[in-house]
Amino acid sequence: MLEALDVRHRFGERVVLDGVDLRVAPGVLTGLLGPNGAGKTTLMRLVLGVIDPDYGRILFDGAPVTGAERQRWGYMPQERGLYPAMKAGDQVIHFGRLHGLSKAEATRRARELLDEVGLGDRWDDRSDRLSGGMQQRLQLAASLVHDPRVIILDEPFAGLDPVAVAELASTLKDRVAGGSTIVFSSHQLDLVQDLCETIVMLDLGRTVLSGTVAELRASSGTRQLRLTVHGDRGWLGAFPDVTIASDHSDELRLALPTGVDPLAVLDAARAAGPVSDFGLDLPTLSELFLVAAGRASEAAAS
Amino acid sequence: MTLSWWAGTRLVAARAMAEGFAGKGWRIVTGLMLLGGIAAVVIPRLLGSGDTTYTLAVVGPAKPALVAQLAASARAGDFTVEYKALADEGAVARAVRDGKADAGLVGEGASARLYVPTLGVGVFPALVSGAVQANVTVDALIASGLTPTQISALQDLPAPKQVVLGPADDPRRAGVGFGVGLVLYLALILAGSGIATTVATEKSTRISEVLLAVLRPTQLLVGTVLGVGLLALIQISAAAIPVAVSLFASHSSALPSDAAPDVALGVVWFVLGLSVYAFVFAGLAALVDKITEVSSAILPANALLIGSYLIAVTVVVSSPNGWFSVAASMFPMSAPMVMPMRWASGGVPGWQLVVSMLLTAGAAVLLARLASVIYKRGVVRTGQRVSLRDVLRPT
Repeated sequence: MLEALDVRHRFGERVVLDGVDLRVAPGVLTGLLGPNGAGKTTLMRLVLGVIDPDYGRILFDGAPVTGAERQRWGYMPQERGLYPAMKAGDQVIHFGRLHGLSKAEATRRARELLDEVGLGDRWDDRSDRLSGGMQQRLQLAASLVHDPRVIILDEPFAGLDPVAVAELASTLKDRVAGGSTIVFSSHQLDLVQDLCETIVMLDLGRTVLSGTVAELRASSGTRQLRLTVHGDRGWLGAFPDVTIASDHSDELRLALPTGVDPLAVLDAARAAGPVSDFGLDLPTLSELFLVAAGRASEAAAS
Repeated sequence: MTLSWWAGTRLVAARAMAEGFAGKGWRIVTGLMLLGGIAAVVIPRLLGSGDTTYTLAVVGPAKPALVAQLAASARAGDFTVEYKALADEGAVARAVRDGKADAGLVGEGASARLYVPTLGVGVFPALVSGAVQANVTVDALIASGLTPTQISALQDLPAPKQVVLGPADDPRRAGVGFGVGLVLYLALILAGSGIATTVATEKSTRISEVLLAVLRPTQLLVGTVLGVGLLALIQISAAAIPVAVSLFASHSSALPSDAAPDVALGVVWFVLGLSVYAFVFAGLAALVDKITEVSSAILPANALLIGSYLIAVTVVVSSPNGWFSVAASMFPMSAPMVMPMRWASGGVPGWQLVVSMLLTAGAAVLLARLASVIYKRGVVRTGQRVSLRDVLRPT
């Protein structure tokens, strides 16, 4: 388990992180989410030891993280983090050797990984001559060359087309299924909501939401029951807490607060007349963020 | 699995060097430096400004006593004498008039006649005159009963010691100092901009973050300085080696016998100068956000370097022991260029050299520490250019 506990950091007068917690369990793909400027990259740099926190602790399996431990981790920064004039193969070998592999071992692993990410035939190409997607795959290979047990990725999906997003997501799922400890950051909340199992959401350096995605969405007070139903809406009188979000022709959307059973509402609608279609829409991560960030800023203001 | 401090530093240095060797820019500059070095050797020879040869027209073969006297002058004055053996005095006069000989000598002893193109034409006719007079004197001394040993002792009387009042005791040695200073300046400029570009590239591409997750900042800093510093040293060697090989191989008198220690001292000063400036360049480059901001970020370091060099080639060369030159040779930022020039000019007390080196080495240690702090704090502050004040503010 990788943990960052009560981490605080400021750059000059600007508070970047204000008591943030992050827990990443092995085998559980964890997303560190939030808008630009929320403090995600700084938190990752602190976890990696690139900068030292003003306050707080970084632990791995309950013990403070050492330099030797970090050498077994892999990191992919937001921008590609590649030497522009270096050949693709040499690049992966170099990072492998920095992580303690012998030249022969680093070369063998580099060949395997470039083949795996589909760049086997680009071994001798300079990295600045590769397309954005290829550079991203090359950087991934460089961060995985030493078979790290902790993998930290900063905005890995930024700027990728849907095919590349799916490929990267599949790679991360495979790694996490193999027992790796993986955390990645993203500001594209809806893009990654089906990928993360656990999230920590930051806004302005504070944690606004954390937990498993399924529970957070299901327990949210902003679920909507969608019904295609004809006729009078008088049956809604039995549910005073339920409000109408929209009602156009036969399409009715109802906002269900926490504690209201959606099945009870559906049964009441069916008792009043035929229901030709229905569904329960959980809030997206963006919607959850907006609600949570609003609450947090109100709390901060008071 | 865990890398030692040195193993990590060496990997960083080796990568910087490999990129330099593979880069077109480095190869072109090194090639130009090599061509410059070769040109410095070849062009003076092509222009014939090398050895001086005087021609003396004589009737029949030159007398051995005259040849021996002139040979001694030629060794001391670094010139060669050629003899043009002609049939008669008329031919000798014609040869001098037509410019085929620098002077003509007919007869010997008190009755000798010296033909010269114009009155007071130069040093060679005076030397021939002196040689003739010396031979007459030797003959007179033998006639008066002195033995050859006694005469030889008379000829070996020591000349008065020359006291030079100009700026340099030995202009050729001062020339070596000037060359060492120029080479150091070029090496530091090349190494400084190379280091700054490497640091800024690593920061702007965020490679530095990946590296700092594995390496300590000092490893990255020292590795980069070592790698790029060696690249600059190789470039400078490309220019210096043809000159050095030519001078040493030909035992040319253009290189004074004590040039080797001055050149060796130049290497020590390169290491000291690189230690002082390299970390400053690296620290300043860590403040930029984009690679295009490098030249303005390293402007203060470049200004110091250029200013020091200008002081060295103007003030120090003309007045190597003036108070300003002494001060400039003690100030760590200018010492690496000023002191080698002062030292080669002669007359610098040994203690000044030692103090200057100690001050420079001490400053290098302090600056390296300061630059490490600037580097470590600056390199992770992305998104905008970071000011020095922000970076140095205590957390």
